[in-house]
Amino acid sequence: MQFPAIAKPPVGIVFDSAMDRIDDVIALAMLHGFEGKEQARIAAVSISRPDLEAARFCDALRIFYSSAITGPAAMFMHAPAVGLADGKPGGGVPMLDVAETNKSAIKSVIDTADPATLIRNSLMAYHDQNAAVVLSGPATNLAKLLDMYDAKELVKRKVRLLCMTEIGLDGDPAAARVVRAGWPGPIATVDRQVGESLPFPGASLDKDFAWATAHPMVDAYRVYRPMPYDAPSWAMAAVLYAVRPKEKYFQLSDGKVLLDPAQKENIIRAYIDLASAKPVPRKPRKPPDDKKDDKKAEKKDEKNAEKKDQKQ
Amino acid sequence: MITNKALPRRTFLRGMGTAVALPFLDAMTPAIAATRRASPPVRMAFVYVPNGIIMDGWNPDYEGTLAALPRILKPMEPLRQDITLLGNLTHNTGRALLDGAGDHGRCCASYLTGVQPRKTVIDIKSGVSFDQIVANQVGKQTRFPSLELGMEDARQAGDCDSGYSCAYTNNLAWKSETQPLPPVLDPRALFERLFGNGMALTPEARARQNLYRRSILDYVTDDTRKLESDLGPTDRRKLDEYLSSIREIERQIQKAETDNAQIDPHMEKPYGIPADFAEHFKLMTDMMTVAFQSDLTRVITFLVTHEGTSRTYREIDIPDGHHPLTHHRNQPDLIEKVTQINTYHLRQFAAWIAKMKSIREGDGSLLDNCMIVYGAGLSDGNRHLHEDLPTLIAGRGGNHFKPGRRIVYRRETPMCNLYLAMMDRMGVHVEHFGDSTGRLDVLDLA
Repeated sequence: MQFPAIAKPPVGIVFDSAMDRIDDVIALAMLHGFEGKEQARIAAVSISRPDLEAARFCDALRIFYSSAITGPAAMFMHAPAVGLADGKPGGGVPMLDVAETNKSAIKSVIDTADPATLIRNSLMAYHDQNAAVVLSGPATNLAKLLDMYDAKELVKRKVRLLCMTEIGLDGDPAAARVVRAGWPGPIATVDRQVGESLPFPGASLDKDFAWATAHPMVDAYRVYRPMPYDAPSWAMAAVLYAVRPKEKYFQLSDGKVLLDPAQKENIIRAYIDLASAKPVPRKPRKPPDDKKDDKKAEKKDEKNAEKKDQKQ
Repeated sequence: MITNKALPRRTFLRGMGTAVALPFLDAMTPAIAATRRASPPVRMAFVYVPNGIIMDGWNPDYEGTLAALPRILKPMEPLRQDITLLGNLTHNTGRALLDGAGDHGRCCASYLTGVQPRKTVIDIKSGVSFDQIVANQVGKQTRFPSLELGMEDARQAGDCDSGYSCAYTNNLAWKSETQPLPPVLDPRALFERLFGNGMALTPEARARQNLYRRSILDYVTDDTRKLESDLGPTDRRKLDEYLSSIREIERQIQKAETDNAQIDPHMEKPYGIPADFAEHFKLMTDMMTVAFQSDLTRVITFLVTHEGTSRTYREIDIPDGHHPLTHHRNQPDLIEKVTQINTYHLRQFAAWIAKMKSIREGDGSLLDNCMIVYGAGLSDGNRHLHEDLPTLIAGRGGNHFKPGRRIVYRRETPMCNLYLAMMDRMGVHVEHFGDSTGRLDVLDLA
């Protein structure tokens, strides 16, 4: 007898960034797009700067993409934690201070998680070699992850690829050295030139995002720099490569993700399609299934009652 | 004349088949050492309630010094200077992590082990629970390394939750990865274990004892008289109170046995288990008090009812099963019933803690020298959430930390971080446990 094959669950992506460049914001929107298409799951989002507004922005973006989920599925929906680096808050990033952020449930740092713990915990929920880590900013959080008890073994087992951006590593060179030396699996690094050569077209906002009256990513884009401008795409390239490594969007040489001029249009189209994807109503999540056990208990109670009656 | 002689801490009052340990008496501190003040030992206990808690009725909307408490915690209000509330502690190993349904089995099995249990009904595997790590070291100094107690009869084999063995839902303590320690439910069995001389009474001896309704204290009268003559007035009063409390426990057990014989001869319960929940709870916790007071053990786990239980609470007019009610799907009437069950549990717990506080020990109370954790392996029982687990610590861990506070940690903070801190307070130093990432600072000297 043949059984239907169980589909492999989509790859889980850990997205760690400083959330201080517009490509970080668009990359996170792309990940939500991937999630809607069931091509990837957001395993964890963590931020390497101690900026509560950044955490609130990520949470608001999640809420935006969850807006299509209604009914019983919404009742069982649960807000995942956002990882936020410890430390004294530095200067804010104006693009994150958009109106939609107010919808976030994050009020203070206790509503966020330690990034290394969050990443460790979330990786445990993925099949072996079915997770990837996108590092768009400094490697601070990942260096701490590697320092955790048993984390290297876990990463080795679960993570098929670490995709970093060269430009992001500049923020913490010491942590970058630790991660390069200690990461127990394949690493790919998005070349600086890639982000600049594959700009996200600002003109797409009016055209491709017209369906949304208020989109946190679009609002952030408009605040980041005076419009009109096209945005560099380091983080987006890393996300695209991490989720679709077999699509040959890029050339890979000596662990570097490089531009393939022939793919330029394809890549930019993919950026737009994914970032502008509409929120998707997900299949209702089954409520916790303990009915069977309750029925068993009820039957047992009935049996006992019958026994008692007979004896009386 | 000042002497260095003292009554040994391990003094027992002995009689036929009986060995009654003593509470911590002043006479146990040598006069010369009195200036150095020997401190009473630190004890710890876990009181586990199943099926989560209605968190809106548990979590105060503030941090810091405890003020007005939410509805479920109201019974603890007179004791709020003695409790610490912890927020956002998580058991990641209780989550599905690729193993699908079975949150009740996982949350109970991982609660004190910090390990994701193997999903099976046959070859069970979890981890050594941290209470047993403590018991292995501290337990050498007491008659019982640890006590495992409970209140609900539960099987140890078969499937109790979506493919998880009943051994997972029905035990808290694990001696080894494959050996859970089933809780003692019957107050009579516990009483005889605590005050027997290690040998089980023969049915004939028990019948004789029952016939004459003799108290175990009758068997140790000679030893008691001898001891009293050597004690000062304070110790004499302390001893008298202690022996009276044992007599009271005995009386309650006898009453339960008489009631059971009259009320329901066919019920599926051991003979000495009271039919009334509150009465049973009181009996078990009274014996826990005595066990701590007389240093019979320093480690107790108490599984109030087993995880996933469908027990009904007719005592408070709730004929519905506890577990089905917790899947309330946000229906207010069902939420109200679960809240009442949660509050009812807390009421019993508060009465016990008040009693622990009323017993003087050293410079403070028995409670001051304890860390009694009241908690659950799920927070929201409707959604089966394993984070922000309801966690309350009663006591001061040997006057080491200052209660009366609510401390909220960051999300995903491992529960095992609390266990590491507790192990430190118990004098057991371990670098890593379960999925710990460090030690909670809550038990640091305040």
